[in-house]
Amino acid sequence: MEIELAINLIGLVISILIGRFAYVGYTVVASPNLLRLTLAFVSISVGFVLLAASLFDPENRIIATSGLAAQAVGYFFIAVSHGLKSSFDFAPRPSGTFLIIPLAVAPLVIPGNSIEHIIRSISFILLVYVSIETMASYMQAMRSSTLMIGSGIGALAVAELVAWYDFIYPGSFFFAALIIKVAGFGLMFIPFSKFGLSGLGRMNQLGG
Amino acid sequence: MAVSNRTHVSIIADILDTAKTYTFEGQKGVTVTHLIRKANVPHSRLSGIVSELTSRGLLHEIPEESVKYRISEKGLEFLKAYNQFKGFAEGFGLRV
Repeated sequence: MEIELAINLIGLVISILIGRFAYVGYTVVASPNLLRLTLAFVSISVGFVLLAASLFDPENRIIATSGLAAQAVGYFFIAVSHGLKSSFDFAPRPSGTFLIIPLAVAPLVIPGNSIEHIIRSISFILLVYVSIETMASYMQAMRSSTLMIGSGIGALAVAELVAWYDFIYPGSFFFAALIIKVAGFGLMFIPFSKFGLSGLGRMNQLGG
Repeated sequence: MAVSNRTHVSIIADILDTAKTYTFEGQKGVTVTHLIRKANVPHSRLSGIVSELTSRGLLHEIPEESVKYRISEKGLEFLKAYNQFKGFAEGFGLRV
């Protein structure tokens, strides 16, 4: 339990730091994409808090399921940002609604018999979509930070897939999934860390 | 074909970047005509943005025979912050 708690707390700290940076960015430059990233990482942080809290009451699956759902909502916000970008770039019409299709199809194409199972499936599909979009951006701009973040999101998708196998072989893949997940957040944090946190307060004063 | 839609904040960054160039290269400032050319926005829109930036202290107005603008210390800080957040968003494959 201690290891699981520690891994969840590492994920929580990383997502809070990224979310805070995105929020300060939103207050300074008022970008809708930074607002979506803020909401995404707030949701992901709430998910980590709930997942950590569920460790203290292992019998109650509602808390853990709520945590996974909160994180799926976070992934959805990132996917929406990419969906809007794609719709403006390639098809100037309200095609953001296409994002609903994987959400609707996931429970049907992926066999599952629990809400947790379905939520993980949705998270996996959203993460694969975001990872592909981020990698496509990397192919255009060739920025190493985009490659890191795309790989990090890809690792999160792998983590969801591995966690999914835990339903079939209980206890075998749980820690592997958790470690891959935090490694994914770690990969996302590496390029972010170079921006630094020291100037956040000063930047915040520029906002408004 | 991809269409590049510039956001309001990216236009502001272009204006400040142009003003910065004309502030530190031994020049007295940038004229509205230069800003229109470099930022690629119509005069009516640019006037509104420049007034807003001046009132917020990001640009300084230098009254001469033709009005010129220089970037302020606050403007430089904003530009630096903008470039950081732009890099952050681009890391996610997004635009600010």
